[in-house]
Amino acid sequence: MLSWPAKRDVVGQDTPRVDGPAKVTGAAKYSSDVQPEGWLYGMIYRSHWPAAKVTRVNIEKAKQIPGIKAAVVERDGERTIRFYGEELAAVAGTSRQACLDALLAIEVEATPLPFVVKEEIAKNPNSPRVWPDAANLTEPNVREKGDVDKAFAAAAAVVEGFFTTPTQLHQPLETHGNTVSVTYDGVTCWASTQGIFSVRDGLADYLEVPHEKVRVITDYMGGGFGAKFGPGAEGGLAGRLSKAAGAPVKIMLTRFDQSLAVGNRPSSFQQIKLGADADGKMVAFEMNSFGTAGIGAGASSAGGGGGAGFPAPYIYVVPNIRVKQSSVAVNAGEARAFRAPGHPIASFGMESIVDELAVKLKMDPVELRLKNDPNKIRQREYAIGAERFGWKQKYKPPGSSPGPIKVGVGCAGATWGGGGRGTQADVQINSDGSVEVRCGTQDLGTGTRTLVAVVAAEVFGLKPEQITARIGDTRFPPSGGSGGSTTAASVCPAIFDACTNALQDLQKKTGVADARGSNWLAACRKLGVNPLTSHGQWQEGLSSSGVGGVQFAEVEVDTETGFVKVGKILCVQDCGLVVDRLTCETQINGGIIMGLGYALYEERMMDSATGLVLNPNFETYKVPNFADVPEIQVILMDMPERGVIGVGEPATIPTAGAIANAVANALGVRVSSLPITPARVLAALGKVGKVGSTA
Amino acid sequence: MKSFQYVTPHTVDSAVSLAADQGRFLAGGIDILGEMKDYIASPRLLVNVKDLPVTREITPGKESWTIGTNVTISEIEQHAELKRVFPGLQQAAAEVGSPQIRNVATIGGNLAQHSRCWYYRHRDIHCLKKGGDTCYAHDGENKYHSLFSGNPCISPVVSNLAIALAALDAKAIVRRGKEEVALSIADLYAKAWENPEVHNSLTGTDLILRVQIPNGGRRSAYQQVSEKASFDWALVSCAAAAKVEGTKLSKVRVVLGAVAPIPWQVQAAHDFLEGKELDDGVATRASEIILKEADPREHNGYKMPIAQALIRRTLKQLVG
Repeated sequence: MLSWPAKRDVVGQDTPRVDGPAKVTGAAKYSSDVQPEGWLYGMIYRSHWPAAKVTRVNIEKAKQIPGIKAAVVERDGERTIRFYGEELAAVAGTSRQACLDALLAIEVEATPLPFVVKEEIAKNPNSPRVWPDAANLTEPNVREKGDVDKAFAAAAAVVEGFFTTPTQLHQPLETHGNTVSVTYDGVTCWASTQGIFSVRDGLADYLEVPHEKVRVITDYMGGGFGAKFGPGAEGGLAGRLSKAAGAPVKIMLTRFDQSLAVGNRPSSFQQIKLGADADGKMVAFEMNSFGTAGIGAGASSAGGGGGAGFPAPYIYVVPNIRVKQSSVAVNAGEARAFRAPGHPIASFGMESIVDELAVKLKMDPVELRLKNDPNKIRQREYAIGAERFGWKQKYKPPGSSPGPIKVGVGCAGATWGGGGRGTQADVQINSDGSVEVRCGTQDLGTGTRTLVAVVAAEVFGLKPEQITARIGDTRFPPSGGSGGSTTAASVCPAIFDACTNALQDLQKKTGVADARGSNWLAACRKLGVNPLTSHGQWQEGLSSSGVGGVQFAEVEVDTETGFVKVGKILCVQDCGLVVDRLTCETQINGGIIMGLGYALYEERMMDSATGLVLNPNFETYKVPNFADVPEIQVILMDMPERGVIGVGEPATIPTAGAIANAVANALGVRVSSLPITPARVLAALGKVGKVGSTA
Repeated sequence: MKSFQYVTPHTVDSAVSLAADQGRFLAGGIDILGEMKDYIASPRLLVNVKDLPVTREITPGKESWTIGTNVTISEIEQHAELKRVFPGLQQAAAEVGSPQIRNVATIGGNLAQHSRCWYYRHRDIHCLKKGGDTCYAHDGENKYHSLFSGNPCISPVVSNLAIALAALDAKAIVRRGKEEVALSIADLYAKAWENPEVHNSLTGTDLILRVQIPNGGRRSAYQQVSEKASFDWALVSCAAAAKVEGTKLSKVRVVLGAVAPIPWQVQAAHDFLEGKELDDGVATRASEIILKEADPREHNGYKMPIAQALIRRTLKQLVG
């Protein structure tokens, strides 16, 4: 079985991104930058109603608009629309303005239907049904262990709370979209995707062509957090328009479209009760929760639609539990996987109630966690984090800091998988010593291209910049989608295997006993005209799964204005063998900043009267700016013996819980709903009569 | 957006006559282009006013300073002498949008900008402000909306500069018909108090030419609270100006933004503060007078404590 070398020269160092210069100079062409010869703009006509019976979509007038080369109806015949923004038709033309004019020329005959967009109203049996044959609210998914009622009765301390989390929208800086070219020879798709092979298969099936006829290319893309695995409605429509127009068609969604129809993190409403004995050992846990995944929830799609369930009591071991979780359908865009699906929701609710228990028991929150979280890695991480953060000095009784601007600290933990799986790779070595590594993975922006170069450089005794890493093309050996934090743990072993094979082949072929490092060029020269090509694949033993991760937050809260300023986040994170320290830390930074947005700013706002999303833009759907980002300290627990484990998701999980606990520690009262806005802080302090986000 | 024509006049006369036929004035474009992209406005003609003569200067004078309508927010923010004389104005400018926005947005455009209400700005909502018959915010999602309004529309004025300029007793010199008229900031917005369909008192052919701020040895200050640390609208803003001797205030103005369709000022509060030594009690009493008539909706009651805190802090900043 292969194993990583004990002494590593490149792996684990700070390697700047190999494509950094291309990115900062603009030489790197992102999917949205691609402009194949003769390309056309494409745009989508979306439903103006949150619910309607559509009887006719007339695109004839749109086709007459000067510059328009094709128009298609998304689906023939009568159909029922279930959310504002659902795709109805699409147009392609020679200019953006031609497309905009064409969209205005599309005529739709529709009968509006009753709708419901707020979870708490939708779950009422008298509310309009999103799906006619099923109640909006599903029967709860029940998990039970031990005797909960008896355990609560015997508990020394019992705390209860009601926690809510918003629907968080997928807002990568590059919106969803593709450029698709359909020709006699086949289909080429430049996709902003997390999975080139899943886009290939999805697009091929939609266009009814063999998979091998579709080539998907993703050289550079601007972020994907779980919602960019398939071609999407926008990819399929671009394909049909391309076929109809005989030219490549690019549909990149507008920010407005992005906010409606390409996925989100489900909301949650969590009633939690937690009991412990006098020593702080948790004995009983009870949860009743519901949340919405938009139309992708409800009884008709239970178990298949990406419902609103999540782990509970999350990372804690409680002998007696009763958990009842339901999903409720509303007339809004559906959920899709979202960076650590389920976990940030679970962490926020659970870590909040754990801190409430600590307050009730007058126990240090870190100590309480160490008592009830048996995970060995997190135990070490809490110890290291508390020491480096200065927890003992900083943690004070809730609400005890003087003056109107109060300071507080909080912590929270996380768990995630992040293991690897089947990936293949080719290595080609040329007689001039140049090396090309090819792998059909894709770089979400996390630095995958750099990891490929780092691993190859390690095996060959070269520098990463001497390696040409080619990824993002379905003509390369296949790899999986970049989801579940699996990319690094999938790709690095395959590259290691392929390069190890290549080194052996080179040494065998040239007779050079050790071709690495300073011998490299001399060995390669012996190859002659034919480059050497070797193959490799993901192997057991070079990666594993299962990480912890803890975070500590320090905040200032202005009790007169409700403004929360996060001063610092300290993160202790393991991810097995660290491949590139720089890209690892920046990925953790990104996860924390996303968690900050979840904690303080982000919330899709649905309007009950109109059924529309009120904030389909960055003006009122708020994401962190640099001015909002705190000092972030990342402490990596390098565990090379475990092999490579992904780190994309775990770092975003505990941030909101840690911030919420810090705010509660500052105030002495808890803001139990995310995002923690000035309105909610002032309400929690009892300074407001009326507040809330739901009607 | 819909197609439009574009013209660059070089005299105010031609600018005004061009705007008369379904035209809209264009300066920095931050507001009008957003409205056009969202189909809130679809003018036939954009009248670029950036090349009008004598509109880009910041000029000190014996009685007052003059700021041309095309002066950018950045220029106000970074003007050292203006900052010394009218710090409240500089602080208000520094909170506008982002550096990129401040580099192109103008003082004229900032004062004339339209509502940011998310119902008004939604392309598929035909609300009262757009000539419909319902203010959806009234019983809907109104956390960003007004505490005071003289009509059923509760979308607030959001111009930072208007709030600071109101406190400084500035006047907007407006070309109206063939005349130039001097409007107080209160006059500039008065019509929005009563008429839900307007954003200010300007007609489609009224053009702000410049702003005049009287000298007078008063101190000024501006503060706002937003949900984010930067590049975010004020939930509430507050500007104050006064002559200060020790802690004694005179010629006091306190103005709130983002709580009413007009910059919110209450004469009784100005009268109360006149000649008072500022302390916490006086500041709190002033805030009570200013907020007395407030009518919070379901989701915007939190603006009350923020307004109270900002009034107190801004007054203290004058003295401090």
